[in-house]
Amino acid sequence: MALTITCPICGKRNGYEFRYGGEEKGPRPDEKDLTPESWCDYVHMNKCVAGVQQEWWFHRDGCGSWFTIFRDTTTNLEKETPEAKE
Amino acid sequence: MMNRFNHLPTLKIDTSEKIPFTFKGKQYYGTKGDTVATALYANGVRIYARSLKYHRPRGFYSMDGECSNTMMEINGVPNVRTETTWLKPGMVIKEQNVKGSAENDLMGFIDKMDWAMPAGFYYDTMHKPAKIWPVAMKQIRKAAGIGKLSPDHHMPGKYDEIFPTCDVCVIGGGPAGMTAALAAAQKGLRVILMEARPWLGGQFDYRTAEYANRQTCHERAVQLAKEVEKTDNIRVFTHTANIGAYNNNLITGFQIGTEKDSFTERYIELRAKSVVVATGCIERPLLFENNERPGVMQAGCALRLANTYGLLPGKTGVFSIGHDLGLEAAVALHDLGMTIPMIADIREDGQDPVLLKAVMDRKIILLKGWVATEAHGRKQVKKVTLKSLDGTAEKTFDCDVLVASAGFTPLTGPLVVNQAKLKYDAHTNFFLPTDLPKKMHAAGRLLGYENGLSIEASGHLAGLKAAYDCENCSIADLGEAKKAMESKPGPARGTKLVMAPVKGRKTFICFDEDTSIKNVKQSIDKGFDVPELIKRFSGAGLGPGQAGIPGHNLPLFTAKYQALPDIKIRPTTVRPPLVPTLIATYAGTNHTMLKRTPIDDLQRKDGGIFRNIGVWQRARYFSKDFTSRKEIENVRNNVGMLDGSTLGKFRIHGPDALNALQRVYVSDLSKIKEGRVKYTAMCNDDGCVIDDGVVIKLGENDYYFSTSTGRAGQTVEWIRYHTRYENWDFSLVNLTDAMGVINLSGPNARKVLEKVVDIDVSNDAFGFSEYKEFKVADTIPVKAMRLGFVGELSYELHVPSSYMKALWLILKEAGKEFKIKNFGVEAQNVLRMEKCHVILGQESEQRTNLLDIGLGFLWSRKKTGYKTVGVAALTQAEKDNSRLKLVGFKMENNGRAPRDGALIVDDRVRGHVCTARDSFSLNEAVGMALVEGDMSKVGTRLAFYEDECNGELIYGTVVETPFYDPAGQRMKM
Amino acid sequence: MKDIKRYSPVEFKVTPLKIETRDHWDVVMEYHNEGDGPWLVDLSHRTRLDLQTGNLDAKKPFGITIPATPGQSVLENGLLINRMNGIQSSIYHLAGDAIEMPGETEYTEITEASVFLAIMGESVFAICEKLSALDFMDKNRETPFLYQGPFSHVPCQIVTLSREAEKSGVVLTCSRGYAKVMVDAILHAGEEFGLKPAGEKRVTDWISSL
Repeated sequence: MALTITCPICGKRNGYEFRYGGEEKGPRPDEKDLTPESWCDYVHMNKCVAGVQQEWWFHRDGCGSWFTIFRDTTTNLEKETPEAKE
Repeated sequence: MMNRFNHLPTLKIDTSEKIPFTFKGKQYYGTKGDTVATALYANGVRIYARSLKYHRPRGFYSMDGECSNTMMEINGVPNVRTETTWLKPGMVIKEQNVKGSAENDLMGFIDKMDWAMPAGFYYDTMHKPAKIWPVAMKQIRKAAGIGKLSPDHHMPGKYDEIFPTCDVCVIGGGPAGMTAALAAAQKGLRVILMEARPWLGGQFDYRTAEYANRQTCHERAVQLAKEVEKTDNIRVFTHTANIGAYNNNLITGFQIGTEKDSFTERYIELRAKSVVVATGCIERPLLFENNERPGVMQAGCALRLANTYGLLPGKTGVFSIGHDLGLEAAVALHDLGMTIPMIADIREDGQDPVLLKAVMDRKIILLKGWVATEAHGRKQVKKVTLKSLDGTAEKTFDCDVLVASAGFTPLTGPLVVNQAKLKYDAHTNFFLPTDLPKKMHAAGRLLGYENGLSIEASGHLAGLKAAYDCENCSIADLGEAKKAMESKPGPARGTKLVMAPVKGRKTFICFDEDTSIKNVKQSIDKGFDVPELIKRFSGAGLGPGQAGIPGHNLPLFTAKYQALPDIKIRPTTVRPPLVPTLIATYAGTNHTMLKRTPIDDLQRKDGGIFRNIGVWQRARYFSKDFTSRKEIENVRNNVGMLDGSTLGKFRIHGPDALNALQRVYVSDLSKIKEGRVKYTAMCNDDGCVIDDGVVIKLGENDYYFSTSTGRAGQTVEWIRYHTRYENWDFSLVNLTDAMGVINLSGPNARKVLEKVVDIDVSNDAFGFSEYKEFKVADTIPVKAMRLGFVGELSYELHVPSSYMKALWLILKEAGKEFKIKNFGVEAQNVLRMEKCHVILGQESEQRTNLLDIGLGFLWSRKKTGYKTVGVAALTQAEKDNSRLKLVGFKMENNGRAPRDGALIVDDRVRGHVCTARDSFSLNEAVGMALVEGDMSKVGTRLAFYEDECNGELIYGTVVETPFYDPAGQRMKM
Repeated sequence: MKDIKRYSPVEFKVTPLKIETRDHWDVVMEYHNEGDGPWLVDLSHRTRLDLQTGNLDAKKPFGITIPATPGQSVLENGLLINRMNGIQSSIYHLAGDAIEMPGETEYTEITEASVFLAIMGESVFAICEKLSALDFMDKNRETPFLYQGPFSHVPCQIVTLSREAEKSGVVLTCSRGYAKVMVDAILHAGEEFGLKPAGEKRVTDWISSL
C-alpha cells in the first residue's frame, strides 16, 4: 500500500496503480540457436537481489506506459529517477 | 448528579444544556461537551467494567483510551471507548463482561482464584489428557474476550473516506504540532494538522500553570489555535486519530464526525512530502498493589476531569507521583476544593521550585522519596498505604481518589510503525526514536521537553525541517531555528522507578489482559525473557489499549527483574492501527465498481438473472431453471440473442501494427485477407494459452481484433510488454466499451437479419468466417462476423454502444415471428460445450498449452523471425507425451454429468473435468476433461471422483469430438 | 421505421426541463431544480477522439498545437486536447459546432468508449478528494491539466479546467461500462455539498466563461 512508483509520464504515484513486470533482463533472445535451457533461463531465472534492482512497471491505471525503475528490495523504496520509455 | 464547575476558562462543557441517555435501562443526563465516560462519572458511576480474566472492578484511569477499563456497549456496538466518545442524546449504554452488574459482578470471585491461573496456564494445563481440550476450549472461549456481537450485526452509522492532499502533515495538535504547522505554513506550504482530541491545544489546553510572561498554558493554547485556524494553508482535522504511518509518508487515520458532519466516522489516507510527529506523551502507570482499583487515576486524568469537564474527581485525594504535572494537579485540585492529605513524590529532588512553593503555601504535606504501595477497598479506593522508597517508613490515609503516576511515556507510535528505531535514554527514562525515516521529524514533549518554550522551539524547528524537505526553506533559516532551540532548556530528567517495593501479586502491568507483575515473573522464569515473548505468553500489551499501559513498564521491569546492567531490552513492536479502528471505518464508502453493458437494463427487464463475471455484471440465466433448457433449445431450433458486449475489442494501427500482432499471436497474420475473420490465439512465454479471439484486417497495418472478456483489461499491457524493446511505431485503442456485441444465433438467424439490413446476407454473399460492414435502418453502423461458437448459424454484430439498445430492440421486433428469445451466458456455455469449443480458463488452466487443448492448428510453424511469444516453449512441448490432453467424454448407462472440477482417478489423480452437462440437444450427459496423455484415446474408461462423494465414483468413456453436429454443417448453412 | 435513438450510459433520476435532439441523441439542456451548484453533467454524447502515432509532434488536430509535455492540456475553440504520453492525445469536443472526423488513420473515434462527465462548482475539489488521492490542487500544475489515474478506484482521465472559485471544475472520462457506478459514487460523495445533475447548458456557459 505504501509503495510509490515514479512514472516517467505521470510522476510519483501510489504503487497500486501499477503492475509489476519483472526484473530487467534485456531484449528477447534471438530464435536462432535457442536451446530450451537458455530460453527457460531467460524467462524464469531471476537474480532476486537483496538490494537495488532495475525492474519493469506498467502504469495500468494511468498513462499505460512500461518503464523501469531502480528499487531497493530491502526497503521497498525507489532509488533514482527512471528513464522514460514509451 | 455531581455539581459541576462552570467558571473555569479551560472547560469544554456547557452545563446549561442537558443530554439524556440510558444507562443500564435507566435514564440519566449528561452535559453538552461530555464524553460518555465523564457523563457517567458525573452521575456517580465509578466502576465502569469488570476485567477480562479476573473480573476485577475497573474505573476511570487515563483519558485517551489507553486501556479497556471504560469500554462499554453503546447502541448495540460493543467495546466503544467511552473516554473518547461524545455523549449524544438517546444513547443506550450497557456494561460489558459482567454477570449481574459491574458494581456486583457474580464472577468477581475469580479474582481470588488467580493462583490457579498463572501466565499461560491453558497452554500448560488444558492439553493433557488430549480429551480435555475440546471441553476446556468451549469454556475458555466463553470466558475469553469482552463485548458481544451477533453474526448478523449491521454497523449503524455513515462511513466515509477522504484522501486529502498536502505538502506537510503534522500529527498532533498540541503546542509543538501547532508551532510546526505554523512554521511550515509560513513557508507557503499546504499543511494538514491531525489532532486526536476534538480540539487543538494538547497538554496546554487543560493546564492553568504559567507558560511564560504571566500567560497560562491554556491561554497560550488558545492563542496558537486561533493563529492556526486563521492560516488558510493549514487544514485542521480534529477528533482524528492517527492509525498508521508507512513508507514514503503514507499517513492514515480516522475522524469522528460531529453533528454537523455527513459521516459518523471517516477514514483518512494521505501522502505527505514531509511529516512532523508531535504526539506528546501519555503517563507511565505506577506499579503497586491494586494499582487499577477504581479511584486510582493518573494525574492528567484527574486534572482534565476538573479543568475540562468540570468534575472534581473526589473529596479526598492522595497523590503518588513522579513528575511536576502531579504537583501541578495537586495544587489545582486543592484550589478547586479537594482535600489532599499527602503528596508522595518519587523524586528526592529536581522539582519545579514554583510548584514546591505553591504546595507549601497550601500546607499540603509533600514527602519526597515516597510512593504508594497498596490501594485498599474492595470495589473502590478507600484507603492507601504509602512507603518510603526503601520500604522502611509507612503511612496510611483514607481517601476516595488516589492520583498515581510514575512519569511520562512518549507516544512514538507513528515513528516506530514507519521503521524508526527506539533507544533507551537514561536521562529522560524514555525510549527515544532514533534513525528516523527520511522526511519524518519528531518534535515536542515526546523528545523529553517539558518547558513550554522548548516544546515550541522544537516544533518550530521540525516545521522548518519539513519545509526544507519540500525545498521551501533555506539552510540559514534552519540554522537559526536550531540555535533558538539550543538556547532553551533541554529535556527534563525522568523518574526511573518502575515499581513500588511490593511483591506484585495484585500489581497489574497490563489492565486489558489482566497481566500482573507476578505473571511477568512467571513468564521470565519459564524462559520467556524478552518483552516480545512475555507479551505473547502473558498477554501483556495484546489488548485493545494497544500497549498504552504496559508499553513502557514491561521492558523496564523485564530489565530490572533480570538484573541487566543497562536497559538493553527494547520495547515490544508497535503495529498499526495505533488506535483501535472499526472495520466499517476502514471500509469507508465501500463502492463496488462493476461494469454494465449498454443493454443491461433491457436484459434485467427481460428477467435476466445477473452474476458478477470478472469486472462485469452479466445475465447468466433468463429463468429460474438454471439448466437453461428453454434458452438452449430455442437457439438450436429457432433463434436466440446474447449480449456479448463484454468481449475485448481493439483497434491496432500504425507502421508496425502487423509486427506487433505477429509477436503475440501464434498464427501468421500476414496472410489474412480483408473481409475474412481469422480465429487465433495468444500464448505466454511457456506456450500456455492465455487468450483467443478473432482478427480482422481493416486496411494496411490497420486491424480490428477481439479478446476474451477476462483478457480485455490486460491486452494493451500484454502487447506493449512483449514489444517494449523494439521501438515499434504502432497504436492500440481499446474499444471494448465502445462497441456492444449481439450474438444472433440459431437456424432462423439469417431470416431475422435480412429483414433489417441493407445488404445481401445470403450464404453466398456473406459466408461462414466472413466479415461485413453495413447499416441497419440506414443509420446504425454494424461490423458483422459470421462465427459459430454455439454451433449454429450465427452472426456476431458489433455496434457502437449508444446504438446498442436500438439495434437490440429492432432485432427483437424483427425476430418475433421466428420465436427469437434472449439467451444467457450459461446457455452459451452449454451450447458451445456440445460443440467442443473451448473457453480459456475453463478448458485450460495455468499450465495448459495451446497443443494440450487441440488448438495446435492455429500455430503457424513456418512463421519465423517474429520472436512470437510462446513459440520457443511450444516447439519443445510438442515432443512431450506426458502432458494433460483435452478429451470429450460421455457418461455410462445414461448417467448424469459429473460436476465441473470433479477429479478423474484410478489409483491416483489422472485429470479433471473442465465442463460437463446433461445435454438436451444430445439427450445424454457429455463433457470435456483434461486427462493424462495415455488416457486420451477414444474408448478409455474414466472414473470421476466428486467432492463428498463418499467413494462412490461415476463413470464415463472418452469419445470422439465434437458431440454436436460433428460435420459442422449447421454453422455454415 | 421509427426514429432511432442513441442512449447515454448515464441516466439521472430527475426530470428534464429542456431537451434538444442532436444526431439521434436526446441531449438534456436543463433539468428541473438544478440548484445553485455544484453540478454533475453528462457529456457522453460529446465527440471524443484518440490520436495516436509515433510522430505525434507533427500533428495539428483542427489546427491546434498539441501540448509538448504529457499531462498538459489545451482548450481552444471548445476543443480540449490532452497530451497523454509520448505518442497519444485525447481530443474532447466540449462546445461549439460538431466536428468532422479527420481523414487520417491515426485518429480513432472513442466517443462510445467512455462515459464523459463534468463536475463544476466551488466544492468540486472537496468532492474529488473523497474519491481520489490525486492532487488537483498541486501548485506546479497549470490549468488545464490532465490526470490519468484512479477516481473512485476506476482508471480515469480527469482534466482540471479551472481552480478559480465558482468557476472550478473538472471533466472526466472512464470506461463506459462504469457509468452507472461512477455517477452513483460521485453523487454520493457530492451529497453533502448539494451536488445535483444539470443539463448541458451549464457546461456550455462554463466553457465560454473560461
